Amino acid sequence: MPMPDTIFKMNNVSFRFPDDQSPTLSSISFAIERGERVAISGPSGSGKSTLLYLLNRLYPANCDGIVNGEIHIFGKAADSYAPGEINHRVATVFQDPDSQFCMPTVEEELAFTLENLNTPASEMEERIRHVLDITGLSHLRHVSIQTLSGGMKQRVATACALVMNPEVLLLDEPISHLDPYTAKEFILWLDQLQKKFHLTIVAVEHRLDYWGTFFDREIKVTSDGRISEDAIFKPHETLRYPLRLNSILDPTVLIATGLSVNVKGNTLLHPLSMTAKKGECIVIAGPNGSGKSTLVKAICGIYKKEAVKFASDPCGYVLQSPEFLFLTSTVLDELAFGGTSSQQELNDLIESLRLTDIKEHNPFAVSHGQKRRVAIGAMLADKRNVLFLDEPTSGQDEAALLELFRLIDSRLDQGDTVFIVTHDMEFAAAVADSVVLLKDGRMTGKFISERVWQDVELLASHNLLAPKGVTRRAESFA
Amino acid sequence: MRNLLHDMNPAMKFITVTIAMLGLAFFFNPWTPLLVFISILLMQFVFSSINWKLWTLYMFPFVLGAFGYLWTTIVFSAETGGTVIWSLFGHDVTDRQLALALSLSFRVLAFSSLSLLFALTTDPVKFVMSLMQQLKLSPKLAYGVLVGYQFLPVLRDEFFQIQQAHRLRGTAVEKYWWQRLLNIRRIIIPMLAGAVRKAERSAFAMEARGFTGEARKEFYQPVSIKPKDFALSAAILLLVILSSITGTVLSS
Repeated sequence: MPMPDTIFKMNNVSFRFPDDQSPTLSSISFAIERGERVAISGPSGSGKSTLLYLLNRLYPANCDGIVNGEIHIFGKAADSYAPGEINHRVATVFQDPDSQFCMPTVEEELAFTLENLNTPASEMEERIRHVLDITGLSHLRHVSIQTLSGGMKQRVATACALVMNPEVLLLDEPISHLDPYTAKEFILWLDQLQKKFHLTIVAVEHRLDYWGTFFDREIKVTSDGRISEDAIFKPHETLRYPLRLNSILDPTVLIATGLSVNVKGNTLLHPLSMTAKKGECIVIAGPNGSGKSTLVKAICGIYKKEAVKFASDPCGYVLQSPEFLFLTSTVLDELAFGGTSSQQELNDLIESLRLTDIKEHNPFAVSHGQKRRVAIGAMLADKRNVLFLDEPTSGQDEAALLELFRLIDSRLDQGDTVFIVTHDMEFAAAVADSVVLLKDGRMTGKFISERVWQDVELLASHNLLAPKGVTRRAESFA
Repeated sequence: MRNLLHDMNPAMKFITVTIAMLGLAFFFNPWTPLLVFISILLMQFVFSSINWKLWTLYMFPFVLGAFGYLWTTIVFSAETGGTVIWSLFGHDVTDRQLALALSLSFRVLAFSSLSLLFALTTDPVKFVMSLMQQLKLSPKLAYGVLVGYQFLPVLRDEFFQIQQAHRLRGTAVEKYWWQRLLNIRRIIIPMLAGAVRKAERSAFAMEARGFTGEARKEFYQPVSIKPKDFALSAAILLLVILSSITGTVLSS
């Protein structure tokens, strides 16, 4: 019997969550053939993930959503499949590496998957061995999943998907929590697996510039949930940031000499020295576990530090999850909490951070970008004009990145000093005046931004990729 | 030998310990719980390789509690009659009062040592798997518990992160424990919001791998019941029964 070659077929499909007035997806029609590599792109909140969940049958059952139109999977109507029936043929890898596992070790997690499929116990051993072998993860078999890095967790999640011998692999923004270096390795690894398994791959992704030529087709979804384009995939150019003018002013706001951090006899950070000026933007970069967060927390006074000399203006710290900072129930109260700024100063801040429309809202209930602006506002209202942003670019789409760029640019123009911990070197190249590189708890040095991007070896030794835009920028300066 | 208690089938161990505790509840003399306490301790010495430092640490609050019982029962209990054996600050302590007080505090020790016998020799993951395989616990509940268990370290990290962030915002470090307890809600709310999101994602990930919550037929690592599990179970129960008989005889 010949295998049906159309894997997914949607005909004029619309989808609405029961609590929403307007549909999340409307008039969606496409067909995906066996062996294709399809990217579904679009801005955050455009319903890309919803579309993916309609393909693996997580929706509509899990949200009581209302589906109109026809969805066919392997030539059969989607709603004719029993719960769980389709999932071993259509496997999924999700975005968050931290919440995809329920067992302690890699082996047990794979066994969990096989047990779900009622695989005979006698076959399990061989299938686990085989999938670990083919994915190159055999050495992790008895390792506790929680101790793995994000990139390795995503590989384990993929192995768990592949152990079911699926025909289709769905990817829901699989690299959005990975740093670019790890993401690139993950994509290369996935490329080889696709060839070995002859998989059909459908991926939801908003940072397609990292994927090179991986896909052969791209379906673009607009913010109101319609398909705007369905065409052959063209490699995406790196996001173009506007040029930023140097805004460094003379006064020094931070001097650290011989700064180090020791916790219970372990040296987390070896003595380092640096200075920062008013209006300067400094990117802190390095491999995972190199001491970036430790450095930031030490300067901000969260960790106990030792230093020969340390002097700094008050420091503000904005975490990767800005809502961790919130203490009150309106945006306005959040800014006024410290009580350091006058009413006039608060009003100016609210205006310059564009918080006027949401000042009565609950800070926990606004969008991620707005949360970050509120957190920055709260820091500035406390007169903490040396700002530290921890991984602000992680998981952001292009619009959010541009907004972040403008936000940082405007703070620098106002004379604030901004430190950014990031792996995103394109973003760093766009904003940074200087770059602090860390490795194994030691500072390699503080470099002038333009020079460090040329030194590919130096970057590679810190698990960083040279920003793609640099050559372009160098030309424009010539 | 020293692994016997650790290797015992967890569900069976759980049932045995529960039965022992229920049985113990019917004996009101001071000797029975004391003998149970001593014999459980000896058993752990011989058949387990637990960390005794940890045992001492966990046992400490129970010992305090036991002493509290002893003290309050002696000082505040109603007049029950009996011979006065001891006079303290003009307060008479009768032999019956003493017996009652000792019985209560030894019970605390016996119960806590039984609980620790279970807790310190059982791997939580294996316990849940065993509950599912031997006692037909629903896989939905079982894997729910396991996911929660995986989240614990993540939640702990988050708790400290939020606490640090709040300190940075200038929330004063409170002087009294009750103020700190009251302010914990500020930390808990963002944590709960995050936990709900994580829970949903985990549920999706599990379902996408074919988890339906139905009873499973095949197990990669079956948790079995072996003859030595019955032997150990019998041994624990026998110790309790012998202690009960001896205790009753000694106190009559």
